[in-house]
Amino acid sequence: MASLTLLRPGGRGGRARRGGRVDKVAYLLVAPAMLLTGLFFFVPMVLSLYWSFNSYNGLQPPQWVAGSNYADLAMDPSFRHAVKNSVVFTVVTMLIGPALGLVSALLLNRRIWARSFFRSVFFLPVTLSLVVVGTMWKILLAENGLANQALGLVGISGRAWLDDPSTSLAAVSLASIWQGFGFETVIFLAALQTISADLYEAARMDGAGPFQSFKAVTLPSLRPTVFFVYVVGVIGALQAFDQMYVMTSGGPLGSTTTVVFYLVQRFQAFDLGHASAAAYLLVVVLAVVSAAQLRLSKRLS
Amino acid sequence: MSGRFSLPGRGPSAGSQRHTGTFLVLCVASVVLLLPVVWTISTSLKSSADVFSPGLGLIPWHPTLDAYRGVFGSVPFARYLFNSVVVTTAIVALNVGLDSCAAYAFAKLRFPGRSLLFGLLLTTLMIPMQVNLIPLYRMMVWVHIRVPALGADTLSGIIAPSAVQVFGIFLMRQFFASIPDALIEAARLDGASELAILRRVILPIARPGLATLTIFTLLQSWNDFLWPLIVSGSDASRTLPVGLALLSSKNTVNWPETMAGSVVTALPMVLIFVVLQRQFIEGLTAGSGKDL
Repeated sequence: MASLTLLRPGGRGGRARRGGRVDKVAYLLVAPAMLLTGLFFFVPMVLSLYWSFNSYNGLQPPQWVAGSNYADLAMDPSFRHAVKNSVVFTVVTMLIGPALGLVSALLLNRRIWARSFFRSVFFLPVTLSLVVVGTMWKILLAENGLANQALGLVGISGRAWLDDPSTSLAAVSLASIWQGFGFETVIFLAALQTISADLYEAARMDGAGPFQSFKAVTLPSLRPTVFFVYVVGVIGALQAFDQMYVMTSGGPLGSTTTVVFYLVQRFQAFDLGHASAAAYLLVVVLAVVSAAQLRLSKRLS
Repeated sequence: MSGRFSLPGRGPSAGSQRHTGTFLVLCVASVVLLLPVVWTISTSLKSSADVFSPGLGLIPWHPTLDAYRGVFGSVPFARYLFNSVVVTTAIVALNVGLDSCAAYAFAKLRFPGRSLLFGLLLTTLMIPMQVNLIPLYRMMVWVHIRVPALGADTLSGIIAPSAVQVFGIFLMRQFFASIPDALIEAARLDGASELAILRRVILPIARPGLATLTIFTLLQSWNDFLWPLIVSGSDASRTLPVGLALLSSKNTVNWPETMAGSVVTALPMVLIFVVLQRQFIEGLTAGSGKDL
């Protein structure tokens, strides 16, 4: 066994064994995964790309229209509104969610009684489906729901938050932050616990106060985690759909119609060309976000 | 630690005081966080007439299970629950089996085309599922017309596109890669087949990875909404989230029933979370520490 290991330096040694063993069984093992991914991912991806350059209602054969679906989208006020809503939703939830998560993680990282209980409380909403969360908050934020009853106790008269275009997106964002920030809390907490106490000790030796050591030790150590949280969060937020579907059906007046919501609407209106074009625009945006993340994380390491 | 950082003149007890402060802040935060949950459960236990009684309504003074009877009687929540259980069980089982097999091959076996195939899988991680939504639906309709038992508006139509997850393959590949080759080599010298090696040597070591994959897939498929919504056309194939969304849009007056539906949809995952907290949190934060 020892000699076998020696033959393959580092235990990997693909190059050292070139021309050696070929594990034919590997094809059998990867076949189901490759076939299913091909059938349910690559085939639809190609179809969708093709349809995005066609006028297609799903009944008559597609008709080539080159880039005019994309041009239509760029000019369509309701698509532009949807893009704006998706961006606002992403910015709002990504400004507040991770900040809340970081603060909660810093609090939970102290030596306190019942810490794991608190951690579970913060994490509980993450296990709920967005449909459940949307349903709960839709009733909670209704004109005579819990939120307005509580506001009434302190003398503030509420309103039907979800029926008002000026507050609907904020209300949906609030529900989404409530559901999601426990995820960020737990990730930040895990990262905080890997920071060595020696670093804080060294900072203290240098005469750093709590704020300075947070800036000099905690924040730099958390940088990769912050990136992870933002990449996962931004990509998720740009695809938001479920909570809007349940809470507002994209309304009122399109004030909570996101890009994915728009895409589903076009699909239900048998306008597969524009729906596919909208989907591909989403792909481009997400690819840019992923690529930017990759470059940033490379520059950091 | 923060005691040492305390401002001068605050005395030695400042540190512990501050932790008491932290504790109190966390208590208040927990209450605020849990209020919506308490209110939901409380409302589900009320009769319609009691919902608007004065006060915040956090306590159901005349608790009744009428709403739950309604949800399992006039609304087919039993059917949705059954569908959700079948769909989730199938998706978890398929992923544990198929993702692990592929991951093992990519981590430990040598074959021409390995990096090409793996690279192909890599690209799918950057593409959102919504791109495939419409073609997938049309494919499922196409199948359903030819084989009525499969495709659109059947559970198979919900399960099939989630039978393999590229993320699951990546996750398991990391676990498999950490197993020493020497161990596998020894089993191979003993004449064990690759499948036997996978079953008797690798899987026992990769168990934490499998737990992570199981929990991740479990939560994701139980809570999945957009695809089941698109592909299910009737109660025969609606899962709990789809059924709940339908109930919530149709039923704007009967709050207890809508809330009972929410509780039924959420409860299974909450129970699993309460029992398996540590594994659950690890499962859902998998990948945060490492670059995939």
